[in-house]
Amino acid sequence: MTINKILLASGAALMLSVGAASAQDRTLTISVYGFAQDAYKEILYDPFEAKCGCKLVVETGNSVERLAKIEANRENPVIDMAVVSATDALAAARAGLTEKIDPAKLSNFDLLYDKARDPNGDGMSIGYTFYASSIAYRSDKVDITSWGDLLSDDLAGRVALPNVTTTQGPATLYMLGKAMGDEAPDLKAPIAAVGEHKDEIVTFYVRSSQLVQLMQQEEIWAAPIGRFAWSGFSKMDMPIKWATPKEGQAGGMNVMILTKDGKNQDLALEFMDYWLSTEIQTALAENLVDSPANMEVTVAPDIAENLTIGKETVEGLNIIPAALELDNRETWLSEWNTKVAQ
Amino acid sequence: MFQNRAEAFALVLPAAVFAGVTFLVPVVVLLSEGFRGADGWTIQAYIDFFSHPLNRTVFVRTLKLAAMVTAVAAVIGYAAAFAIVNLPPKGKGRMIGLVVLPLMISPVARTYAWIVILGRTGIVNQALTSIGLSDEPIRFLFTETAVFIGLLQLFLPLMIISLVSALENMPRDAVPAARVLGANWFQVFWKVILPLTREGLVIGGTLVFTGSMTAYITPAILGGSKVLMLETLLYQRVTVANDFVAASVIALILIVMAFAANLLLKRLATARNKR
Repeated sequence: MTINKILLASGAALMLSVGAASAQDRTLTISVYGFAQDAYKEILYDPFEAKCGCKLVVETGNSVERLAKIEANRENPVIDMAVVSATDALAAARAGLTEKIDPAKLSNFDLLYDKARDPNGDGMSIGYTFYASSIAYRSDKVDITSWGDLLSDDLAGRVALPNVTTTQGPATLYMLGKAMGDEAPDLKAPIAAVGEHKDEIVTFYVRSSQLVQLMQQEEIWAAPIGRFAWSGFSKMDMPIKWATPKEGQAGGMNVMILTKDGKNQDLALEFMDYWLSTEIQTALAENLVDSPANMEVTVAPDIAENLTIGKETVEGLNIIPAALELDNRETWLSEWNTKVAQ
Repeated sequence: MFQNRAEAFALVLPAAVFAGVTFLVPVVVLLSEGFRGADGWTIQAYIDFFSHPLNRTVFVRTLKLAAMVTAVAAVIGYAAAFAIVNLPPKGKGRMIGLVVLPLMISPVARTYAWIVILGRTGIVNQALTSIGLSDEPIRFLFTETAVFIGLLQLFLPLMIISLVSALENMPRDAVPAARVLGANWFQVFWKVILPLTREGLVIGGTLVFTGSMTAYITPAILGGSKVLMLETLLYQRVTVANDFVAASVIALILIVMAFAANLLLKRLATARNKR
């Protein structure tokens, strides 16, 4: 009897110590975009580590590198969760690299905008941030009321457009097509229109950070940009406005994905849930890191100015469906290379 | 002898193993990608690459710009180098320091400076409009001219340094002797200086040509996607289309062109030598 008791007690002690050890050893490896990591660390990573008693390993890089790494480690996943664009998430899902996300395990799921709940309709991703795209322009030089104005005579030689290879590129072409009354997914009509005007376009930019300088030097008077880049323009000592084109604003969404056969899926879900909570989404918004996907988030008007926020704004975004982009990307590029890049 | 060889082999082995593992193997693996087909080895990827009009345009543009930059760098380089070697030692050191100085500044910073200089409100356009050469600012940015200027500025120091050391190794009295014997300045350059400094020209030319062909930052910033070069096309193929085959094709083209340029310059130099 005593021996049994001792055995039981020591067994329990052993289990406890194993339990404690595993809590300390729990490690979550995440793969994220490289920007604003200091802010993320302060707002999201450190508080989460304190809360879960686990260690967070953060890998950063551009999406191509990060997805290539997930694919290379397919048999023995290193990354537990990643944040990518909705389109990249679909590409990863099609390649069998992601796992379904159970909404029941996310207590904040019901607080998300409809658009963020299951962006690709496959249950494999959850949106955590939106961004609107429109046209930043010199209001003392031109007036912009439509995406079609980008190719107008007023802006000839004074406009920069995003390259088709950027996230803004297809979005701009899609809205140009809309303005032209041609919404075919192959984007042939808008690409041809840009091709006809290519000598009047100052450059097809790859990084929006470059545009502030071009605007400052009066090289350009207008360019389509994402809302995340707006603060750089609004601070300039020039009359620059954010257009509200009659076709609406373009937009995009970044999402969270769960790696297939990841070793820490429950912890990854716990992290996702924490990231989507009102508290964290508000802090990220207030620091202008990410616009929220959580409907409960409210911020001061001067902060909201630099974000994509509010039910009306989010629901009005013209986001190209990921499947459409994925299926047409190669066509767009070859069409662009023939009509524009030549 | 054998023992010497073994010793030499042993001495070179660590470096060879390091270069082999970290450089040769990855390069071979990367380049072989371009020759791999569904059923065995093939050059189909190369045929596909050159069948696209855009790729041909980019190839010709890269070759043309690199050749122009090399030629202009050689002309300016000779003049500058000749002036430098004829300076007193103190001045020579200072001038070489000035030539080398830009190499110590990141090419990103240097290239960004050109955006300001060549811009609509930049110093070049201000000068052009104020002296009446142009009614309104000329658009330099994102044109082949901008890439050309950027590349020339980037690589000219390499040409000057190569030519300075070549001119310094030339016999001091070769030029005065030629002059005394009645040669004009063109003959002095063509028949005396050029043959005696060809090694420097080959080295400088190869560095400038290879550098111009493989530069990424300058064409990316000053040319953008309107003036695609092979390097910027390579980047586009990888990041957008995830097309490592085309990237490997471009990489091999760049390597082959670099070797070809070196051989061609050497051949030109020795051809002059035999005469």
